[in-house]
Amino acid sequence: MKIVIYRALVLILLLCYSSCTHGGEKVFKKSRLAMDTVVTLTVVSSAEQDAEAAINKAFAEIDRLSKLLDHFSKDSEVTLINRSAGLKPVSVSKETFEVIGKALYVSEKTFGAFDITVGPLMDLWDFREESLPDSAVLKEKLSLVGYRGIILNAAKRTVLLKRKGMAIDLGGIAKGYIADKVVEVLKSNGIKAGIAAMAGDIKAFGRRPDGKPWRIGIKNPRPAGKENGDDIIAAVDLTDTAISTAGDYERYFIKNNVRYHHILDPKTGYPANECRSVSIITADGVYTDGFDNGIFVLGPKRGREVLGKLGLDGIIVDSAGNITFTDAMKGKLELREK
Amino acid sequence: MESQDRYRIALLSAYALALNGFETLIPSPIPWLKPGLANIVTLVTLHLYGFRAALTVTLIRTLLGSLFLGTFLGPAFFLSMGGGIAGTLAMGLITALFPRLFSPLGVSLIGAFFHNMGQLFLAYLLFIQRIEAVLVVMPILATTGILTGAVNGVAGRYLIEAIESREGMSPPSSGGDILHS
Amino acid sequence: MSSERNKHGVTFADRALLVSLVLLTAYCFVFTKKAMPQGSEVKIEVSGTLLYTLPLSHDRTVTVQGPMGATIVEIHAGKVRVKASPCHNRICVHQGWIDSGAVVCLPNRVLVTITTPGRQGEFDGITG
Repeated sequence: MKIVIYRALVLILLLCYSSCTHGGEKVFKKSRLAMDTVVTLTVVSSAEQDAEAAINKAFAEIDRLSKLLDHFSKDSEVTLINRSAGLKPVSVSKETFEVIGKALYVSEKTFGAFDITVGPLMDLWDFREESLPDSAVLKEKLSLVGYRGIILNAAKRTVLLKRKGMAIDLGGIAKGYIADKVVEVLKSNGIKAGIAAMAGDIKAFGRRPDGKPWRIGIKNPRPAGKENGDDIIAAVDLTDTAISTAGDYERYFIKNNVRYHHILDPKTGYPANECRSVSIITADGVYTDGFDNGIFVLGPKRGREVLGKLGLDGIIVDSAGNITFTDAMKGKLELREK
Repeated sequence: MESQDRYRIALLSAYALALNGFETLIPSPIPWLKPGLANIVTLVTLHLYGFRAALTVTLIRTLLGSLFLGTFLGPAFFLSMGGGIAGTLAMGLITALFPRLFSPLGVSLIGAFFHNMGQLFLAYLLFIQRIEAVLVVMPILATTGILTGAVNGVAGRYLIEAIESREGMSPPSSGGDILHS
Repeated sequence: MSSERNKHGVTFADRALLVSLVLLTAYCFVFTKKAMPQGSEVKIEVSGTLLYTLPLSHDRTVTVQGPMGATIVEIHAGKVRVKASPCHNRICVHQGWIDSGAVVCLPNRVLVTITTPGRQGEFDGITG
């Protein structure tokens, strides 16, 4: 009799324990400076140590990948590719190969509006010094731009830039790609839900502990007052989806009443001016990141055609401030107008 | 017989009320959650005179206690009523089901536990709907529950033994004199 | 006398009960500690190292040294801002007061974040 009771007690305690810990799922957030911006990882876990361990592994992966893909770093694979332009193919890691391959896909689908070979053009603009490029030099550099100048060899896993002086810049696609990889790392470390936010390139997976999807706000390209830190024009609910935004307010300067920002049209070398911001929503961060720039350059009309053809969702704020979005977003978007 | 039982119940209730009043003099950060010293009386009554008597004493104590203190129909009243009933029920149940399993100490621990949980549950339902408040208070309540349960239990045991040796009674295992007379 | 004294003595069940209750209570302490949301705090990191974790409720001014020089962080009335920084653009200073999210001075490698309990911040992330 005593033993029976003893066993029953132990059983009851164990049951209480297991049911209690399941209810204790919390959200853990950690921000760090990485890739020249603020990276915030959000993770749902019932134990702080598990969350921390997964987050640390994810940051390690971010460091590893940004070393390969960062064209500012002297020993990244991208810098190596650029230095060997017009000379010889460069053997690269499968990650770099994958990113470039996907970038080429985006270039094709956006008819060249997104193009990672804009390196030479980007060098001519300095948003800190607020200097405009010399138009003659710009025209010269334009001849070096063109994604078809990238030759990939899948068998040998090499990348070759055909002409000397060509340079690729993965800034418009790397963050989305890394967001995807971060989510993979988190998942393989036992995390069932969370968000990888490489600045504005966000990938959310799973749901919040209360069962609701993750709520992501889209910044207002022209916020009104100085009191509100972030003016949000729309809220989107996401699970297992990525979102990225290209905006003309991230890096820019205004000269003679004209806004010059960092999203260049590869065909002209000057900033594209049909949109204020474009947000793309689809499963993979690498595509949301690449396409947001591409659609931005294409402009609202052609952009929406491309989105329709590819089945991607997006929200476009045109140069006049009008907001349009793809049909599928109708139920999932909450617009906030002032 | 009946009048003697009634006399006993009245006396026991008086003791319980006295303990209750004494309790209000003890300072506490959470005013309406009291440790329940009067449960010693409930415990002893249960053991010597059965469940019905114990429940009666508890009800009388709670009712009159709140009238005396001026908290009738106030939050404290409902909480001590709820806690008292819960505790007494639990103690009665365990004594009826497993009469010799627990000594007064164990019965008192069970009583204190259910008394506190009953109060907490009622407080949550009726007054504070925020789960955070419940979570914060729960460990503290659980601790005081163990402490007062133990103290009550030990005091109760010695009281029971003293009464039994004086009156020469052997304690009924359940039900008690009251039900059969 | 002795047989009566032990009649109501402590039984095995009593002990088992006491032990379980103590364990249960201990567990409640742990569980409550974990499930409680924490108050708003400000974290100040320089070059990836966490230097300060301060409550938002306490007004104070803190100076941190980064590679470019001193960045002054001010906490006042439940908000925080970067008061001054040696960076070129002063984007961090222009961001003004925040009570959620973060302010960053990239050139001086300073990161000021607010850890808010999950319920308060409406958005789990901001894109744009």
